[in-house]
Amino acid sequence: MMAKRKMSLNELSEKVGLTLSNLSILKTGKAKAIRFSTLEAICKTLDCQPGDILEYKTS
Amino acid sequence: MLKERRLFCFLYAEAIVLLKEQFLLNVDIFLPIFVLSNHIFMKTNTRLILKVLYIVSWVIFVGLCVEAGGYLVNAFFAMANPGIVDRLWKDADLSDLFRFDNGHFCVMNLAIFVVSGMKAWLFYLIIKNLHGRKLDIAQPFRKEVRRFITWMSLLALLIGLFSFWGATYAEWLAGQGVKMPDEQHLRLSGADVWLFMSVILFVIAQLFKRGIEIQTENELTI
Repeated sequence: MMAKRKMSLNELSEKVGLTLSNLSILKTGKAKAIRFSTLEAICKTLDCQPGDILEYKTS
Repeated sequence: MLKERRLFCFLYAEAIVLLKEQFLLNVDIFLPIFVLSNHIFMKTNTRLILKVLYIVSWVIFVGLCVEAGGYLVNAFFAMANPGIVDRLWKDADLSDLFRFDNGHFCVMNLAIFVVSGMKAWLFYLIIKNLHGRKLDIAQPFRKEVRRFITWMSLLALLIGLFSFWGATYAEWLAGQGVKMPDEQHLRLSGADVWLFMSVILFVIAQLFKRGIEIQTENELTI
């Protein structure tokens, strides 16, 4: 999605208001949970739906 | 905080009255000290308390090391020169035990040394963790802190068990007709208190374990 919007991690972190480390945790799938407010901010910035950036995988 | 201040003021006042009546000292000069200490108390924060605890821990640690070493050295001296047994360690007079049996004397000294040594080790752990601000109040739920509390719990348990065994052993020796000093002088009293402290610390360690899990989850919540 970031590639589609031609947005770097730095740019996204600035627009969403998250630190680079938190965004990195999210991107690498190490996050345990995400707040709705954060998800909303990311979706708003990337102009997408939660389903576009979240995927379910069996562990 | 208010409760602690009131208690402090009460104790200070009692100390002043005692000094004045018992020792006939002119303690009015302590009034500015009282005012200043009250002001300091208002500004007392956790860091200051930890600093004070650090200094107190050092003092106790040195005292316990001297005590443990003293008993060990005394035992060696007693074996090397039996004539001086009566003059070793005024309160914990084991001269009668020495005359009764050397083996029992060594075991008794070993028990006292082990208990004192473990108490010194406990305070060493406290000093190690208080030094360099390893106890971070901003983030208390860390594996190192939990490990520290678990170790303290284990040491308290061992101190309690050894104290109980030592006290029972001393009681048995007294039953054999040996004139033994009381538990207090042998530094083997309060086994039940140490065991109680061990249980409390264990519970706190478990709470910290859960706290670490919650904190980790919170940290990984974006």
